[in-house]
Order: sequence, then structure tokens, then C-alpha cells
Amino acid sequence: MTTQPLATTTRPVLNEDWLSVVLGIAIFALAIGSFLGVDLLGWSVTTSVWTDVSKALAPATKAYAALGGEGALLATFVALLVALTLGSVALGVEARKFAPAFAVVFLIAYASWILGSYANLAVVTPADQAKFGLSWSLKLTNEGGFIVALVVGLIIANFFPRFAEWLKEAIRPELYIKVAIVILGAYIAVTTAGKLTLASSLLFRGLAAIIEAYLIYWSVVYFVARKYFGFSREWAAPLASGISICGVAAAISTGGAIRARPQVAILVSSLVVIFAVVEVLILPFVAQHFLSHEPLVAAAWLGLAVKTDGAAVAAGGITESLITAKLAAEGIRYQPGWILATTATVKVFIDVFIGVWAFILAYVWTNHVNVAAGGEKAKASEIWQRFPKFILGFLATFAIGLALALSSDPPSLAKLNSAIGEANVFRVIFFILTFFSIGVLSNFRKLWEEGLGKLAAVYFVALFGFVVWVGLAISWLFFAGVKPPLAG
Amino acid sequence: MSENQSQDALKAEINNPVEPLLPIEKKLIGWSFGTGVALLAILLLLSRFFPVT
Repeated sequence: MTTQPLATTTRPVLNEDWLSVVLGIAIFALAIGSFLGVDLLGWSVTTSVWTDVSKALAPATKAYAALGGEGALLATFVALLVALTLGSVALGVEARKFAPAFAVVFLIAYASWILGSYANLAVVTPADQAKFGLSWSLKLTNEGGFIVALVVGLIIANFFPRFAEWLKEAIRPELYIKVAIVILGAYIAVTTAGKLTLASSLLFRGLAAIIEAYLIYWSVVYFVARKYFGFSREWAAPLASGISICGVAAAISTGGAIRARPQVAILVSSLVVIFAVVEVLILPFVAQHFLSHEPLVAAAWLGLAVKTDGAAVAAGGITESLITAKLAAEGIRYQPGWILATTATVKVFIDVFIGVWAFILAYVWTNHVNVAAGGEKAKASEIWQRFPKFILGFLATFAIGLALALSSDPPSLAKLNSAIGEANVFRVIFFILTFFSIGVLSNFRKLWEEGLGKLAAVYFVALFGFVVWVGLAISWLFFAGVKPPLAG
Repeated sequence: MSENQSQDALKAEINNPVEPLLPIEKKLIGWSFGTGVALLAILLLLSRFFPVT
């Protein structure tokens, strides 16, 4: 999602993809300590719905109760600051530039999250409203904090551009969401372990998303961009991939595959992020209103319609909260995690094939479109080069989490759930950082800049005229009637 | 060329005259779309044979 390459000052040891695997697996491994009897992450901070802010924060487990909420927040902040600053050094970024920027990013983003948990914003059910003595609530759920973080980021991007520029070293939504997705692998594993038949049915239906994104969306958007908007091949291919597949990563991979100039993918990427913001602000609420009784249709739809991994997976999280809250008021309680898991699975399925698709395009372009004598031809090794490596981390935590869950007796399974819950605290924090970062990258003024209007027009027409509706139709065909297991 | 000039050139280029669709592009679009529709139909059929339990 990074819209422009950030300056590096030393030779990078890792890229963001591999760094996300390292960080995600490290958090997962520390969380498993709790399953083995050593609570290594219980100091991490959690936030409850509040009317008295002094009671909003608490450590994740009682073992660290002595820290108090502020102590847990400080411990979490210091741990992330150290880990991510070391990570930034591995990326080749100067620690003295990254650390202060990250400190501010964390503090603003987490403050937004705390604000989002204010009872008048978050409380949903009449019972909770009575508990807090409230006469009204916006009913955003406590995950409305993601929206607050996004809006704060947007305000900074659009009204304080110099400040946004100062923060840029730590504005890394791609890194943050990939770490979150690696952690999410374990959460999905323990959520689905007891219902493997349902989970495998969902996986099977998830295959539709791959076909839809690569073969149907891409061909239609490319055709529309070329035929009706008159874009050149160099512009149309990254644009089609950005709108159809997985946003920024797809636009950049396709740009590289067809040997487009880097600036083309950068301009397309900035549009992808801006439209993803618009989608995140609208679609979860549309899903709650119209699809609350088909929660997995809503989940798959968001995975298909919202571009960029971060926005899509986090939109799945918001939608889960919104739908769960609405259904709870009707007396229906589904097991948590299934809506988010379905959105994430659809998105990861789509991501897996980006390398293969980039290779196909590279082959067509270097052999049939831009045939240069002695020019570089597409190589099969590009499939691996462009493969999103964070998926390996996701698969690793999923496989280990599933193996542990399937081999555990009920008391051990309860401990495993609690351990994964500790990792999940960090998954939520990385989601918050992602939302804030997406906001900071979204300068809406770009849309009004001369020339970008046409690019935005094709994006708007394709996304809201085709991708969103076809995604809804296909999600309905494959997921209608499939429900998450009931809780309890 | 400065960064601003290069950015302006890119923006101007978006409005350049249309490049006609090459036969290979038409083939790519047609085959992608056709294969996609066919595979979705097969998948939908299979999902009806193996309902969610």
C-alpha cells in the first residue's frame, strides 16, 4: 500500500514481506508460551468500552494485573517501538528517523482506538446501554476505533501535509497488515478447528474468489480501460490489476511484469488506497444493513470488493462486529471469528496467485506485445519473486495452531484459546496501525489534480459499476445459506 | 527532468490518443473471461453436489 518507495539509507537485510513473517511468527511464538505455562505476552494492553477513561485500559491477563492499564500501554508501546525499530533497520531505514515517527504514529493510532471505545460511540445493545446509563449511542461497536483511526489519519493527510510527511517513515500499512495476517492464521486455526467440515466447505467456495478476481474482473476492467477510456496498455494493465486483484501489491507486480515505468504503478497505487478508504467507510455498514442474516455472504463480498489487503481484512473485522452486534440484539449469537476468517481467507486466496498472474502477463507482454530484439523475456522465477511471502507466515501459524488445537484435550484447548487471544491483542494493534496509516496516505486532493480525474473515473466506474455488484452476486451464489456455527 | 515535470508528463500522457487493441490483447481478454465464466459454472455445480454440512 505504500504509494511511493521510502528512502533507505543502508543496505536492506529484509524486505517488508519477510519482516512481517519474522514479526508475526515471533508474536505467535511468544503467545504459545502461555499455552506451555509461561505467560510471556500478558502485559500487552487491551481496551474495554468505557465511560471513565481511567478504567478503559488493562493488561491482557491477570498475571500482569500489577502493571495497571497505563503500565500495560507503556509496556506495549516500548515493546513495539523496539521491535519495529529493529525491523526498520533490517529494512535499511535509519532508526533515528523511524523511531520518533513510529512513537507518534502509535500514540495517535492507539488514542484513536481508545476514543473509539467510548461508550457513546461503541455500545450496541439496549442492555449495555442501560449498564452504562446511556440514552444514546452511535452503535459502532468498539471496533469503530478503526474508523476513528482512519478518520484521524485522513485529517492529517489532507490538512497537515507537512506532519504527514514527517510521519512517512512509520507509515507502513503494508507491513502492519501483513504482520496482522500472519497472526490471524493462528486465530483462524483455533476458530475453525472444531468445525473442519464447515471450514473446508468455505475454503472450497473461496476458490470462486480467485477465478472471479483474476479472470473475470481483470479482463472486464482491462477491456473497459482500453476500449472506453482510451488508456494505453502500460496504464491499463496495472490499473486492471489494482482494481481487480489485491490493490497496491497487484498494481506494482503487474507494473513490474509488463515492464511499465515505476511511476505508473505509484499513481495507480495512490488511487487504490483512496478508493479503499471510501469502501471501508461505506461497505461494512451496507453489509450490516442488508446482509446481517447472510454474514458469510457479507464476509466474502468484502474480501472481493475492498481492495488492498489491509482495508479488506480490517473491513471484515468491522463487519463482524457490526453484524454480531445487530444479531445479538435479535437474540442470535454466532461463534466469533468466522466472518473475519472468511474475509481473510478470500483475500489470502486471491493474493496467492499474484505471482502466477504476473508471470502470465510478463510472458504475453515480452513475447507478443512489446517484443524487443534481445529484450529481456519473462522467467518462471518471477513467480517466486512476486509471490507474497507473508502468506508463508500465515500458513505456518495456521498449520501449527491447527495441529495444537486438534491434539488438545478440552482443558488444553482452553489454554490454547487464551494464548492465541494474547497474540490477537497484537493483531488488533497492527490493524489499528494499518487503518491510521491508510488514512495518512490518502490525500484526496490528488483526485482533483489535472489528469488523475480520468484515472479516478475508470476506477470509480469499474469498482462501483461492476466489481462491487458482481462480487456481491458471486458471493451470494456461493455463500448464501452458509452460516457460522452458533455460540454456546 | 525534475520530479514535478515528470509527474506532469505522466498526467498528460493519460490523455494521449487511443492505442488500438492488439489481437493478442483481444485473445487475452476473451480467454480470461470465457475461462473464468466456465470455471465459475463448474465450481457452482460442484458446490451444489457437495453442500455445506
